[in-house]
Amino acid sequence: MTAATVSALSGRDAYRDELTRLAGTDPMVVCLEADLGGKGHPFQAAHPDRFFNLGIAEGAMIDMATGLASAGYKPFVSTFAPFAALRAAESLKLTLGYLAAGVTVVAPYAGVSGAWFGTTHHCLEDLAVLRSIPGVTIAAPYGEAETRAVVRAAVASGRPHYIRTGRNAVFDSLPTGDGEVGPVTWDHRGEPDATCLVSVGEEGTRLALEARAARPELAHAHLTYLDHAHLELAAAELAQRPGRFTVIEEHRREGGVAEALALLLPGREVTGVNAGHGWPTQGGDHHEVMGQLGLDLPAVLAAATAP
Amino acid sequence: MTDVLPPQVDHAVAVDLAARAVEARRLVVDMAAGPRGCHLGGSLSVLDILIAALHRASLGDGTEVVLSKGHAAAGLYAALHVSGVLAENPAPLYGQLGHPYTGHPGPKVPGVRFPTGSLGHGVPYAAGWALARRIGGQPGLGIAVAGDGELQEGLVWETCQVAAAQRLGNFVLVVDRNGGQNDGLVADISPLPDLAARFAAFGFDTVEVDGHDLARLTAVFGADRTGAERPLAVIADTVKGKGVPAVEGKAGSHYVTIDAARAAKWKRMIR
Repeated sequence: MTAATVSALSGRDAYRDELTRLAGTDPMVVCLEADLGGKGHPFQAAHPDRFFNLGIAEGAMIDMATGLASAGYKPFVSTFAPFAALRAAESLKLTLGYLAAGVTVVAPYAGVSGAWFGTTHHCLEDLAVLRSIPGVTIAAPYGEAETRAVVRAAVASGRPHYIRTGRNAVFDSLPTGDGEVGPVTWDHRGEPDATCLVSVGEEGTRLALEARAARPELAHAHLTYLDHAHLELAAAELAQRPGRFTVIEEHRREGGVAEALALLLPGREVTGVNAGHGWPTQGGDHHEVMGQLGLDLPAVLAAATAP
Repeated sequence: MTDVLPPQVDHAVAVDLAARAVEARRLVVDMAAGPRGCHLGGSLSVLDILIAALHRASLGDGTEVVLSKGHAAAGLYAALHVSGVLAENPAPLYGQLGHPYTGHPGPKVPGVRFPTGSLGHGVPYAAGWALARRIGGQPGLGIAVAGDGELQEGLVWETCQVAAAQRLGNFVLVVDRNGGQNDGLVADISPLPDLAARFAAFGFDTVEVDGHDLARLTAVFGADRTGAERPLAVIADTVKGKGVPAVEGKAGSHYVTIDAARAAKWKRMIR
């Protein structure tokens, strides 16, 4: 196994940089923001005629992006995950779902990466919403290299995508060999009968890596793509190994990946470490807010090594 | 009110469009006589607007027309058929298994651009289309046709704010002001005084028209807005149930199911 790819950019910054680069050779790529793209967006600097800050108008942004897609453009829209997946949920259903519009929604601040900003800026429900809309490719990449690969794939596909990232945390992507991201990225095969950790998203993967370092017998499979079609492929691959699966995800239990894999792996034991039903009521940094929800290393180790 | 400067409409075109409107109204009545019935009143109020807008789109300059008040699907299907966009007669197939003519517009129907019915969404879609034409330096309008009741949706005003800020002069929002909505009169439920002034305050050009004056509507939609920087709001005063005296102006015409004999009688009265 090769070393992990060294990262310098967070997921959302990697998205901005990669899209800006791709737009240099693809004149149909356009970038829409809803006032949360930050000042000095690199796409705006490089391609000002194709960058639009539409203001605080998430629903209008996604429906307008669909008009652009109908005209042949490849719109990438971005706003925080709670506003993309929940406030504009009906637009997602009608456009990415029913119309299969070639729109990519990039949603930073997923999970509780908004931390001390509070519940309005948390999103533990987006996978449940997006997974229930058929035809949408859902990705939660880990680290810069993987995020770039996912963005490249979205541009090339012309299909509806939802890409989930955290806030500003930086991670080193797991090696994928050829740079393409498949249904399963194996970090560690572990002992044959040991629990296989299945990691989802930035923090889920961080926790899995920490757990695997503490208990080397554990296996670790990382999933980047989380829509039903990709999870079917992942489940077929995971089913090749015996033992329990413990899914780690910064999301509610309901509508999450553990729930999906439990249905796709009948007869196999699938447990989960997730955000459960809690509502963080205190400040703190990202990891501290995760801790309020029981999303920490002790919880992962307890789940993975339970008798 | 800021008026537009419309071109003159050829008399032969006006006569042709009027004939289409008569045919379309009869098709809508046929749909009301089908097993499902239909949203009759709003379909008849919006027909002339749709026929005039589809005429603009037929000129081939890249104009798209979106019926955002999707409950008037029967009117849209009829207008698409008489305008030559939809080949088959949708009336006997409306609401039927095996056919795409659902009670709110389905995108499998030729000419239907967006699955409207959940109100408000067709407006930003059309604005997005207008933005696409502008990015590409191409002519053509994005025309959204909304109901006056539909203006209660926040998404409409969210889009007005965006369209004005983006200076989408090729975006046209038409309001079919028939005064009715599902549960009664707009004026009773959520009145809209000074509507033109509201749009003007957002930064729109505005024009108020008789929504059944095909010549006037055709002229307004035919205006060259290539250099315009202010979106255009067309407030079209219409009559719910227009063309069928038995239901004209009646709130009860919102959704109607009739039998074949009544349909035949009503169709004979449409001129």
